[in-house]
Amino acid sequence: MTTSTLALAGTAATRSKSISLATLVGRYAGLLLLACVPLGLMWNDPYWLNILAYAYLFAALACAWNIIGGFGGQFSLGHGVFFAIGAYSVARLYLDLGMTPWLAVFPAAALATLVALLISWPTFRLRGPFFAIATMAINEACFALANYTDRLTGGPRGILIPFRAGLWNMIFIERWKYALLTFGFMSIVVLITALLRRSRLGHYLLAVREDEDSARSAGVDVLRVKLLGMALSAALTGIGGGIFAMYVRVLDPPTLFALPDIGVKFALISLIGGIGTIMGPVVGALLIVPVENFLRGTLGGAIPGGHLIVLGIILVCAALFLKRGIVGEFTGAVRRIRNRKRS
Amino acid sequence: METFLNILISGILLGGIYSLVSIGLNLIFGVVRIINFAQGEFVMLAMYATYFCTTYLGINPYLALFVVAPLMFVFGLAVQRTVLQPLQNEPMMQIFATFGLLILFENSMLALTRGEARSLSGSYSSVLIDVFGLKVSGVRLVVFIVVSGIALALMLFLQRTMPGKAIRAVIQDRQAARLMGVNVERTYLLTFGLGSALAGVAGALLAPIYTLSPYIGGNFILAAFAVVVLGGLGSVPGAYLGGLIVGLIESFSGYYVDPALKQAIWFIVFVAALIIRPSGLMGQVGAEEVGLREQT
Amino acid sequence: MTRNGISRLAIAAFAVAASASLAWGQAEPLRIGAINPYSGPLALYGDEVSRGYQLAIDEANAKGGVLGRKIELLRGDASSPPQGIATVEKMASQDKVEVFVGTYISAVSNAASDSALRYSKVYWDTNALAGDLTERGLPNFVRSGPYADSFAEVSVAAAKDVLAPALNKDIKTLTIWIEHEDSIFGTSIAELQKKLIEKLGGKVVGMGAHNFRAIDLTDSILRAKAAAPDLWMETGYVPDGSLLLRTMRDQGFKPPAIMMVATGDTFETLDALGKEYLEGIAVVGYPRPDQTEAYGPGAAAYLAAYKEKYNRDPIAPQSMTAYAGMQMLLEAIKAAGSTNMNELRAAAAKMDKPLKSYATGFGVKFDPKFQNTRAFPTLVQWQSGKVVTVYPKDAAQPDVKLVNVPRK
Repeated sequence: MTTSTLALAGTAATRSKSISLATLVGRYAGLLLLACVPLGLMWNDPYWLNILAYAYLFAALACAWNIIGGFGGQFSLGHGVFFAIGAYSVARLYLDLGMTPWLAVFPAAALATLVALLISWPTFRLRGPFFAIATMAINEACFALANYTDRLTGGPRGILIPFRAGLWNMIFIERWKYALLTFGFMSIVVLITALLRRSRLGHYLLAVREDEDSARSAGVDVLRVKLLGMALSAALTGIGGGIFAMYVRVLDPPTLFALPDIGVKFALISLIGGIGTIMGPVVGALLIVPVENFLRGTLGGAIPGGHLIVLGIILVCAALFLKRGIVGEFTGAVRRIRNRKRS
Repeated sequence: METFLNILISGILLGGIYSLVSIGLNLIFGVVRIINFAQGEFVMLAMYATYFCTTYLGINPYLALFVVAPLMFVFGLAVQRTVLQPLQNEPMMQIFATFGLLILFENSMLALTRGEARSLSGSYSSVLIDVFGLKVSGVRLVVFIVVSGIALALMLFLQRTMPGKAIRAVIQDRQAARLMGVNVERTYLLTFGLGSALAGVAGALLAPIYTLSPYIGGNFILAAFAVVVLGGLGSVPGAYLGGLIVGLIESFSGYYVDPALKQAIWFIVFVAALIIRPSGLMGQVGAEEVGLREQT
Repeated sequence: MTRNGISRLAIAAFAVAASASLAWGQAEPLRIGAINPYSGPLALYGDEVSRGYQLAIDEANAKGGVLGRKIELLRGDASSPPQGIATVEKMASQDKVEVFVGTYISAVSNAASDSALRYSKVYWDTNALAGDLTERGLPNFVRSGPYADSFAEVSVAAAKDVLAPALNKDIKTLTIWIEHEDSIFGTSIAELQKKLIEKLGGKVVGMGAHNFRAIDLTDSILRAKAAAPDLWMETGYVPDGSLLLRTMRDQGFKPPAIMMVATGDTFETLDALGKEYLEGIAVVGYPRPDQTEAYGPGAAAYLAAYKEKYNRDPIAPQSMTAYAGMQMLLEAIKAAGSTNMNELRAAAAKMDKPLKSYATGFGVKFDPKFQNTRAFPTLVQWQSGKVVTVYPKDAAQPDVKLVNVPRK
């Protein structure tokens, strides 16, 4: 097992080093441009623009999750905590100190990172399902605490950001500006993950995911690698939370901490799109968010819960038939065709 | 002093409820090693099945248990065979699939019942029994007694019978068990069926206590996971004790600290315990080391 | 253009306008979007409230609709703020909705009305309770029904005028425990209750917050029991309310008077506790169809219409409040002559009807923040397994008396 892990890391290293940085950026810029096409097509339809803005934002958040969940193999269900910290921080800095959200996202990300490190340092000794459950429990504990404390989070009332349009405020009248903002954020996160993948930290994360013990015996500082991955993941999630805050402008504990809508959804999007791939979360989000909205729009009023029944069936079928996620299946199929051509 | 005793007993009985819901999950988790998000929904479905039996067939809920539990056993077999077994080598997809099942079950019940909260008729829930001079809720006492019995029976099953030993072997080391001739797939089926049947028992016994709603499963599931992990993977006495501990912590912190914080408190205790002793109270040390990526 | 040309153009334009008004009868239906949770734990109430809307619309359509147009109700499912935004976007841009109504969850109402403002559409809220919805001062928002403060006010007034005398006490000597669920709904009502009671010189012996999804509420009951209050007031949802009452029974906690706020007055609670235990429990809730005709004109007719269309009794009284709210909206549209945001709001501002104008006993007069100042819940009591209106006095049927206070 040791040899195979290192060999894997090795091949990955050789494969990616053979691509120059320029080609890498070019390839992903191309893919991102493809993801931008819906934005171009629907630029004056506010309904679709809203969905796209949301989809791009969640694509970015899923990519951020993917750094530690996909590359690192640490299945966290507690990213909602970092998301909420980002949202509350930006809201508070904006409302209380008049700071522009464009700058406020950075201290928000820093705070999310700090909390992530504090939480992760003890919990990283847990593996697999134990880690997942521990992070889920932390999410719930923070939910209860956010509901209880009035001063920072506004308690159950939450924080409401009044509508005051302006670039400085990151509040826009036109939806296409929001869509462009979240698209930009998503592009940045995708490029960061692409760069991470070919960096040393990226390879260490993958090695840790494949076989933690072998990685450790090969000299990798496993805890440090995990913590770095988590720090990056949490920082980006916090920024996403801040953007969410300026978009939805109604922030209460249920909206920010609900597991099915936030914490679990990041993982779900990555899983459907292709966990551990770079564009997987993007594909997943661009699929799930519109489908969910479409289902709610058409079935939502008629049968109570009707659209969620369909969604549940879709999720189960996707798990059964798209085992490696959409991107995973796609690249697998491509590889098979290539091998067949070769033979 | 009476208050203290009251809280103690209430905590123990609450712990019984947690243990009951968790005991099936513990088995599934220990053997099949997946986070079964849908376990709470099995309890919910069993509760509604019990409601159906009592309301439309006129059967006493404690007798309905003998109908509901076997039904849930079969249901569990079906779920394991159709959804989970094909995903055996994709643990993350299994989690994903169980989450899909959660959404499916919850909303199917919602569509069927239109969201109306139902309760079991009859005076079961108002029966009070004298314990040490305190009046104790009869239905909760029954839960405690039954789960204690189940825990004992399950321990004997795992220790003394062949299928039980097979289950324990798979909990310890799946690969080695296979090498020793254990049919791992059949063990999974059996375990999942058993875990679902236990959820069925939980549903039947809890139906007189709570108002039924399609979302009630979600209220139990997180606590159930915490109990399972706290108690120790695959350890039946661990799950039993874990449930009692969680119930007591919740009861005491709710009264002496603040009911609004009790959830946060035991979550934090749970995480702390996990960090100090990750294998849980009575789990095998090192069992938690086997992460999501399983040996095949 | 020549003068001839201009006059020809004018005649043509006039002709078009005239023929359009003649085709009034085949005009576009007036679409109203109802934003509510139609899935999730509150789906039942979203559905129930929409039934109230539909009944009011059916009545209006039978009389020729409004502005000569048939009214159509579209349902938009939303259980969280982002969903509220998306649903409003869809309805406003794709489904040609002209006015929005709603909304059983306040946070959803907040985000959805904000979204509706982008399209300059009025958001006419009939049921959401949070104070900040009107405090925000949004130019498209109107609330026709009671809100959190109304519930707090009526509950305290009922404690003072009805329950205290029944216990041979007055508000200053009545000890009260305030229990509430810990989201914005319960918290805002409870906080105001405390303030009002203390302003009247009453004594709040303790406050308790609980999570409405809790598996066990023994601690909340034991704490209240230790304080031994005369009156136990609770604001919450159905699951926690039922669990609290059961736990009270198990723990032998028997306060002389029990008042629930906003929930606890439906068959769900009856099923859970049985009619003997519920006897005498008071609930401050949305007005009910058993009110006197003098207090709530049309209440009995509403009940009959509901039974005919849905083959059962109303599930929850929220629907009648939605019904009255929809009636007010349609009147406002008629007065404004359009659904244009500014015109409709201006017409609403001019509305002035005294209390007891609607089946719910509401009147209509909006304050500067567009909260209806003449909308109040009522106090009901469980009597022999039925919910009976007892307060205000003129809402109660003449032969109605208070029962079982103090509780046996």
